[in-house]
Amino acid sequence: MAKKRKSNRPNRPGPKPAATTPTPAVIPVVPEPMMATQGPVREPVFWFGFEVTWTKLVVARFAIFALLAIDAFLAIRHAPRYGAGDFNVGQLGFLGDLGPGRIGYGVGQLALTYLFAMIACGVATRVLVPLGAAIYAWLYFGSQLDSYQHHYLVALILVIASLVPWQRPAGSDPAAPVRTWAVRLLLVQLAIVYLWAAISKLDGAWLDGSTLAKQMTGKVGALITSTIGMKVAALLVIGVELALAATVWSRRTWRIALPLGLVFHASIAATGLEIGLFAFLMLGFYVLVVPDRIWVALLRGIHAPLDRLAAPSWIAWGIGFVAAIGIARFVRVEHAFVVAIAASAVPLVVAIHALVRGRGPAAFVGLAHVLAIALWLLLDRTSDVAVDYYRFWGGSQRRLGNPEVAERAYRRLVAIAPDEEVGHYQLGRILLQQNRGDEGLAELHAAQHLEPMRARAYIAEARYLQQQGKTAEAIEKAKQATYAEPANPDARTLLDSLSAPGGARPPADDSE
Amino acid sequence: MKQALSPIASIVTLARTWQGVVILVIVATQLLLPLHYYTVRRDPHDERFAWRMFSPMRMTRCTSQFTVNDAPVPLGGAFHEAWIEIASRGRFMVIEEMAAKLCNDRPGSSVRVKLTCTYVDGDQREYGGYDMCKVPRL
Repeated sequence: MAKKRKSNRPNRPGPKPAATTPTPAVIPVVPEPMMATQGPVREPVFWFGFEVTWTKLVVARFAIFALLAIDAFLAIRHAPRYGAGDFNVGQLGFLGDLGPGRIGYGVGQLALTYLFAMIACGVATRVLVPLGAAIYAWLYFGSQLDSYQHHYLVALILVIASLVPWQRPAGSDPAAPVRTWAVRLLLVQLAIVYLWAAISKLDGAWLDGSTLAKQMTGKVGALITSTIGMKVAALLVIGVELALAATVWSRRTWRIALPLGLVFHASIAATGLEIGLFAFLMLGFYVLVVPDRIWVALLRGIHAPLDRLAAPSWIAWGIGFVAAIGIARFVRVEHAFVVAIAASAVPLVVAIHALVRGRGPAAFVGLAHVLAIALWLLLDRTSDVAVDYYRFWGGSQRRLGNPEVAERAYRRLVAIAPDEEVGHYQLGRILLQQNRGDEGLAELHAAQHLEPMRARAYIAEARYLQQQGKTAEAIEKAKQATYAEPANPDARTLLDSLSAPGGARPPADDSE
Repeated sequence: MKQALSPIASIVTLARTWQGVVILVIVATQLLLPLHYYTVRRDPHDERFAWRMFSPMRMTRCTSQFTVNDAPVPLGGAFHEAWIEIASRGRFMVIEEMAAKLCNDRPGSSVRVKLTCTYVDGDQREYGGYDMCKVPRL
């Protein structure tokens, strides 16, 4: 029996609707060979007859890739662990030698942030999505350092996303359906994840609620305990995962999957578990589960301005090109400027491609380029990524016995964040260990100024003075340490040992 | 009315196009790969590629004692703390590579690793305890 169809949809099989308005301003990007919008539906219809509207694809593209862009930038803080101590283990044994080092990982994540932002804006998706997938796969499969299921899922999703026709041709009907077997595959992939996640919980330690009780702490844990109890909650989780596995891939059951999935993942996000943006990313995928007509109704007015941005404009392109490089100068992450210069190749190639076709580059290409670089700056200045990067780099190199490298990291930390006391404190300690007293004490004094209520910088100075035989000055500094942080046991012990008759041997410097 | 293809006919039809082959490979891999964890994977703590989110095994905590010629090794001076954290989850592959590096850095030495894991139900198990330069797998 033939299915009832929405009135705004063409009958299938048959050609999809052509653009409803003339399209002189075609977006100068790589064409979409995966966009099967013509001809009868091939078998099996389950895959090759799957359709979503352009509007939904555009919203999903923006939601998913914007989240991935943010996630990629936040991952930069992990770069110092890559290659540290010349040790690495790949996801598969033979991949260990191919894994990224600190610079490779940092540059790779910065490049991914840029690429995902450009994809979110709809620039050259046929090329940039596979490129992003390849870089992500290298970073993920090259090392087990960040090997959560989240990273594995993103790697797979990016491979599938490489086959999705993400770009709506300018002027085409936003409500027109586009056939895309890859989106069906993406939903089936999610269903498989839910299925196995449920199977993994068919274990006594999950079913009795004890595992969940250890994972759910804080307010959410207390709320569950005081209402339905952990055992019931644990069973509910399995039930929800199985229900989502059965419903998320089929249009007919989206009305079940949508509320269930949104509540489920929003609840996980609310728990505050340290899973990065995983819960939000899963919420992003539910854009695909929201009925198409809702997106079309909500965003009816947005396509006309988007189409105007698709008009060729060398001026907009040029302004974006130059402004992006200017913005990149203010990004504090290592190698950001170099990566920005390299990233300029994207709008450049798009412009050359357009030129070869006898057009100019679309205005939105320049705009997307500058937005992508501006996203770096925004995330840099609103997060601790750059500070953490240098702090973690310095800390790991210090512990691994490379004080010269640690000094370089802490000097950079002090340069980009002069108000961060940890940079001054650690740099001071390293300099004192190298007998560079004046420089080291200056850094410790800066730390004391920035954190007057903490004893550690005073203790470090007192120990150094003691080693120099300046006992009276050391006692004075130890006293200041106890004033700064009266409850600090190290400060009290140091003062006692220095004040003891006959002096004292310098205690071990184990402060962090 | 067009008849829907049978599952076998669908698979055969899919295999005739590159798009269909992509679908078959991804779906089959994703359905079958997690089985590896439940059947032949030697390390129960290694849940990669099995979609075992928030599983009880994830709550396992292990302590690993590395010795070189019976002297304890301060791991923090040899490996980044992120690797030590992964080792504390009991992942054999990483612990074996850590031991291999110590063997490599100190030729002729005896590197012993004793891994003690406590599971979410309170059970404890020990692994290793022998010279991993001679027997490199846990």
